[in-house]
Amino acid sequence: MVTLASELVSTEEPPRRLSRRWRYSLRLWIPLTGLVLMLAACFLAPLVLHIDPPNGGLLTQAWLPPFSAGHLLGTDGLGNDVLSRCLYGGRVSFEVGFSSIGLGLIVGGTLGMVAGIKRGIVDVVIMRVLDIILAFPSLVLAMAVASYLGPNERDVIFAIAFFTIPAFARLARANTLRIRNQLFVVAARLSGQKDRRIISGHVVPHVLPRLLTFGLLTVGIAMIIEAALDFLGVGVRPPQPSWGAMMAAGQPNLSNAPWILFAPACFLFLTVVCINLLGDELRARWEDPER
Amino acid sequence: MLLFRIISTRILQLVPVFFGVTFMTFAILNLLPGNVAVAILGSYATPQSIRILNQQLGLNQPFLVRYWEWLRNFFHGNLGSSLETHQSVISILSQRAPVTFELIIVAMCIALVVAIPLAVLSAKKTGGFADRMSTLLSMIGVSVPGFVIGLALILLVAEKSKIFPASGFSPLSGGLFSNLRTIFLPAFSLGFVLLATYTRVLRSDMREQLATEDYVLTARAKGIGPWSLIVRHVLRNSLFGFITVVALNLGTLFGGTVIIESVFDLPGIGSVLVTAITDRDSPTVQGIVVVLALAVVLANLVADLLYVVLDPRVRYGNAGE
Repeated sequence: MVTLASELVSTEEPPRRLSRRWRYSLRLWIPLTGLVLMLAACFLAPLVLHIDPPNGGLLTQAWLPPFSAGHLLGTDGLGNDVLSRCLYGGRVSFEVGFSSIGLGLIVGGTLGMVAGIKRGIVDVVIMRVLDIILAFPSLVLAMAVASYLGPNERDVIFAIAFFTIPAFARLARANTLRIRNQLFVVAARLSGQKDRRIISGHVVPHVLPRLLTFGLLTVGIAMIIEAALDFLGVGVRPPQPSWGAMMAAGQPNLSNAPWILFAPACFLFLTVVCINLLGDELRARWEDPER
Repeated sequence: MLLFRIISTRILQLVPVFFGVTFMTFAILNLLPGNVAVAILGSYATPQSIRILNQQLGLNQPFLVRYWEWLRNFFHGNLGSSLETHQSVISILSQRAPVTFELIIVAMCIALVVAIPLAVLSAKKTGGFADRMSTLLSMIGVSVPGFVIGLALILLVAEKSKIFPASGFSPLSGGLFSNLRTIFLPAFSLGFVLLATYTRVLRSDMREQLATEDYVLTARAKGIGPWSLIVRHVLRNSLFGFITVVALNLGTLFGGTVIIESVFDLPGIGSVLVTAITDRDSPTVQGIVVVLALAVVLANLVADLLYVVLDPRVRYGNAGE
């Protein structure tokens, strides 16, 4: 109704509309290109181009500043190439970011849709338990979990995924409730379809795009949390390269070799900015398809 | 009467949440692999000494018995004591809580002082200068970890000028000025990230109210000026919901203080927690996590109650769902 009404009153002139669309598509394409370039740099560049290994640098080559011969971003205290470590370290960030959010999205989304369709006691129990998880200072507990499980990538993924479940469940539930009493769902229910079929056939197609857009925005947060865990020394540890661990290694030499810390920080920042810009734009398009 | 009913239901709801929070913390910290006794004695400990230490710590008891024991102690105001320093967790907390508390308060103040005017200005004119600035600022804020901002501040501010030290803490008893000097940089790094979230939330809420709410139309029809509409009507209405956001954010904020305290070497709860986690000092970790989680729960309760008390629409039961 509302969209229909606004369509009717829309008085925009065609040329202006074209320029607006162009602007919005730039908003979509610039961060998307940035993200794809960053992914390619981390996962493909070390395979295709000749790049130093992230470990096994020579101590005679230590502390080289950026733009030294053969070391674009300089070297760290062990003589390892900073650019190479940034690229290999990015793999950890991307892997942890996307898989922890994927895991949280699947578990949380399922719980939320089940709660929204079933209602009643199932709904109450699921949402109350998730509210409790929501009350935790998640980074603090993720630190404890990651540290107790031992410092490796897989457990960091689990620790982060666990705390993203409630947000996804809430979003999935809210969107499920919105369509729960719409005709196509009621018709499916009256025709005797099981809840499982209703969810997979009618609810998922409606809820998933929203979950994915929100998920993209949280990937940035997950990457930041991952870097924080590594920085505190409870996540991935050296010699395995990761942005957070590199920053931790750079901290003691902040004033005489700032590039060791700020190179991975810039990589992290650029990646997360691209993800956030892309997520914002996708969300805006979903909320207001008229654009 | 309705007000009373809302408040009492909200308080009653805390009981299951309390048990949930304590149980979950206990379960996560106790059921994860890794033996505390081995962590204390080192990997060369004999099986016998591990068994004896397990017995002393009560770790050979079944899980539920230990949880019950811990709960009983909790209600007697005893959170156990650190396995490393043997100091009681309560005294660790009371010693270090003021630093963390001050850090959070100052960070929140910095964030609010900037976020509210910025959100008002950018809601007033969509696409204007203030709007672009606030979009830029909040995009930077949500994309940079607080500790990176902290480290950048150390490099750019603390090492160049001697006004703000890069580490250490001077308590309030040592004079307000020297206290604020040590707290400013960490609070700013924490507040910057917070500022981004606050501005984003407040701006979009004010915009939505401006576009959809009937009272905006009424006020405009009355011939109210744009400033007065924004500040006296829209901002006031948006602040109700904003309180909830501020409270919900507290959990994340605690996470942020942990890192910022380590970066700036502040003697707060966060830095002791990092040490306790790396030392596998379970009673300390458990006590601190439970207290922080309960603080978040309580803050949410206070926010909900404030919401009820401040917003007449909720009080008279016609706020809708």
